[in-house]
Amino acid sequence: MKKIVSVLLILAMVLSLAACGGGETGGKVTLDVIISQYGNYTQAWWTEFEKDFEAANTDIDLNVEIVSWNDIYSVVTTRISNNEQPDILNISGFADYVASDLLMPAEEYVSEATKENFIDSFWESNEMDGTVWALPILASCRALFVNTELLEGAGIAAAPTTWDEVLTACEAIKTTYGDSIIPWGLDISTDEGQAAFSYYTWNFGGGFVDEEGNWALNSAENVEAVEFIKTLIDKGYCNSAPYTDTRYPLQDAFSAGTLAMMIGPMNMISADSTVQYEAVNIPGLGIGLGVCDQLMTFKDPKAEEADPARTEAITKFYDAFYECETYSGYMVYEGFLPATEDASENLSKNAEKYTVGGDSGATGSSEYFATFCATLPTCSFYPMQKAEWMDVRNGVIDVEQKVCQGLTTAQEALDALQAQVSG
Amino acid sequence: MNKSAKIQSQKNGANSQTLQTMRKVEPYIWLLPSIILMCCMIMIPIVNVFRASVTEITKVGVYKEFNGLANYASILKEQTFWNTLQNTLIWTVVVVGVSTVFGFILALVLNVEFKGRKFVRALIVFPWATALIIQSVVWKYIINADYGALNALLYNLGIIDKYVNWTATPGAFFAWECFIGIFVTIPFVTFCVLSGLQSIDTSLYEACDMDGANFFQKLFKVTLPLVMPSLTVSTVLNIIYVFNSFPIVWTISKGDPADQTHTLVTYLYDLSFSNGKFGEAAAVSVIGFVILAVCASIYMIMTLRAERED
Repeated sequence: MKKIVSVLLILAMVLSLAACGGGETGGKVTLDVIISQYGNYTQAWWTEFEKDFEAANTDIDLNVEIVSWNDIYSVVTTRISNNEQPDILNISGFADYVASDLLMPAEEYVSEATKENFIDSFWESNEMDGTVWALPILASCRALFVNTELLEGAGIAAAPTTWDEVLTACEAIKTTYGDSIIPWGLDISTDEGQAAFSYYTWNFGGGFVDEEGNWALNSAENVEAVEFIKTLIDKGYCNSAPYTDTRYPLQDAFSAGTLAMMIGPMNMISADSTVQYEAVNIPGLGIGLGVCDQLMTFKDPKAEEADPARTEAITKFYDAFYECETYSGYMVYEGFLPATEDASENLSKNAEKYTVGGDSGATGSSEYFATFCATLPTCSFYPMQKAEWMDVRNGVIDVEQKVCQGLTTAQEALDALQAQVSG
Repeated sequence: MNKSAKIQSQKNGANSQTLQTMRKVEPYIWLLPSIILMCCMIMIPIVNVFRASVTEITKVGVYKEFNGLANYASILKEQTFWNTLQNTLIWTVVVVGVSTVFGFILALVLNVEFKGRKFVRALIVFPWATALIIQSVVWKYIINADYGALNALLYNLGIIDKYVNWTATPGAFFAWECFIGIFVTIPFVTFCVLSGLQSIDTSLYEACDMDGANFFQKLFKVTLPLVMPSLTVSTVLNIIYVFNSFPIVWTISKGDPADQTHTLVTYLYDLSFSNGKFGEAAAVSVIGFVILAVCASIYMIMTLRAERED
């Protein structure tokens, strides 16, 4: 009896280990896909997509795994270290994967129709050394959100359009409401401090790179911008822990009416919020931050050359995902902007056809999509296609934190970062 | 002895020899699954970390070639590493030291009979029984200057007239982290010491009373020497736990502002998963491992030697 149990256990172990493998099983092509979690309901949408896709493509076994933004980089890196990278990955940034020779060029697997459908600027934003390495999955843009009621109560008639007006508005709010209202939301945490750097430097006339695309981190405009961030903290205009507060508690505070102004994404207001607000251009030059995440395809680590069956399955996956109805539905579901021509056009007219994720039953707004899709061309994007981007991203956060703590001056810190990146 | 009896006797001899060998081997067979498990779960990761510390690894985790001590050299010239090392030593000494003193005092109190003792004992277990990550998140919200419970409480009680920024400087952040570390560690020490206290024969105290010994004489001459084994175990385990503790520092500050509140564990996590410096992170891990092994060994040897001398 013991022998039989032992044999059964060993068989079960062998079978379960065998099941761990990817690739082609039972004549089916298996595709492992990792998707970033954009909201509380991401899993539900992808489960439905997986079911529909497998029903339409019986020769493909699609495994979609949803991973939170907090964990996705560590999950993917650990899998790569163990040579178990997914077939398709949704993440932000691709240059490091290209540098490690892990990705397939997009032209090798995207059908002509799907490629033609991408908005040109999005398609080109994923180009590195003349090759496009990833596909834009969605976009969003950031603007200045102001609580109009609070501003009016403090005697400020209109949302600030210059940085001096920001300081004036903050002072008025602080004087009027005291500790009960935070005038300005600031996040220079390791979570998204690079976004803060973008908002201020771009709108002071600086930025990450110069016109030739070379790193220009220590420009006079950038120094002025970083010093402005320090002023906001020193004068007590922003939240008390900008080094550790991510934008999520700030968004909650804005939605609850305890924060008067903050720069944030277009979908930041919670559904049950009753605050009176408006979204306006970021003060200064009015340049918004465009965020565009990507889908990228990994080479098969177990094969020397690309397997045509796998490539075909990947093509089918992208065709199915970017199909106008499906993709439009996903954009409304998650509250982001589309990166394809037909979905942009469709959502600008018919967004009400699609449901927002969750149980609220709310539908999309064509007006919303028409407004924000039109705003996207004025947005600037992170220079993610540059190989040093990750170092620069972490570097500018470090600069902001050190300068605001008074450990160094903006000029010294930015000079050091520029030297490090250029060297 | 006839031939068949001789064969039978030889057979019996062989059987008993096999039995003896089996008896010798048997414990190892039973231990084998645990040894295999330990090798898989402990030794292989340790070996991998050592290997990673002498390997060039790309930002996305692809192993390249052996690069000798380059990762160590790169780390040792970073000022952040030395600040982090200093923080780690302060963090370990303060949290272990203070929690040991308070835990010991609390154990003495809980060893005395009083009404509601069981309830108090149960209450003290809570900080230890709750997940560290949950406690850290709760504390993060308590001390937040803008919407935290502490400011609201003090303000409503009229103790403060305006909200206080409890985490205005890196030092303040780190002090709070140490406080939370102490708060969650005290119960462990208390219960370790309490188990030692309960094993002390009460006749010893009666003898002391007869000899006219005061409270402190009884404490230093009887209690402390007899609970020393429990205290040693709790201190060594605490040094290891606290040195390697991740959730509190990561949840409260993530090592910020400007990497000034890191301990070695959060620093190596940040190096690897935020900065993509896996080789350097492995080097930090090895350095931490060596420091911990040396400190724990010295403490154990010293304590055991002292006990033997006693």
